[in-house]
Amino acid sequence: MATEPVGFIPAQREISLDSAVPREQPGDFSAWLAGSLGRVNQDLVRADEGLQQLASGETQNLHQVMIALEEARIGVQLLVQVRNRLLDAYQDILRMQV
Amino acid sequence: MDYLQAFAISASGMAVEKARVDLTAVNLANAQSTRSADGIGVRPLRLVSAARSGTDFPALLAGAAGASLQGAQIVSITTLATPPRLVFEPGHPDADENGFVAYPGINPVAEMINMLTAVRAYEADVAALNAAKAMALRTLQIGG
Repeated sequence: MATEPVGFIPAQREISLDSAVPREQPGDFSAWLAGSLGRVNQDLVRADEGLQQLASGETQNLHQVMIALEEARIGVQLLVQVRNRLLDAYQDILRMQV
Repeated sequence: MDYLQAFAISASGMAVEKARVDLTAVNLANAQSTRSADGIGVRPLRLVSAARSGTDFPALLAGAAGASLQGAQIVSITTLATPPRLVFEPGHPDADENGFVAYPGINPVAEMINMLTAVRAYEADVAALNAAKAMALRTLQIGG
């Protein structure tokens, strides 16, 4: 009794990279990065204004100034972490053996 | 930026407690005052705070579960109807016909307790804010 060889199992549907993943626009990430930089810069400017008002005695509540400072600090740290991840990925690609 | 909401909530609590300490300072400063602008004498002030209602338009528009978390707010500043403390000082310019001066019924011990409670609540607000900040900074260490 002859057994049938296992035939080629056809794929149910072809996986198309083009249709499955929506391709992003080329400038999306750089636009996002620029926007994030702008927001972090706004936070820094706001914290700086708060510090100037505090130094000149115009501010009413101290904790708003401190909270603005902390928000700016967390924003900067988030930006630094994004930059670290980007550089790690870039150096991984540079170390890739051809 | 979810942690910004935690910052705002803690900041609202800090503002309320700061106002409470201010009122305590007013009460303590006027503990020996025998006159007031309205003529009925100085009365101890109390601050009434309440949870800030989360039914404002941006919260409704967001519709998120955490959008109604809004913190605290100052509702009103009321006066306690405590009777004045009558001290017999006949030569005082504010003495009545029997020689009694009406000092305000401000209890310094109660004021100090209120002040300590406000300071502790402020510290708790700062601790909550620091916890939120530590969580945010710890999140940045994911994968690093």
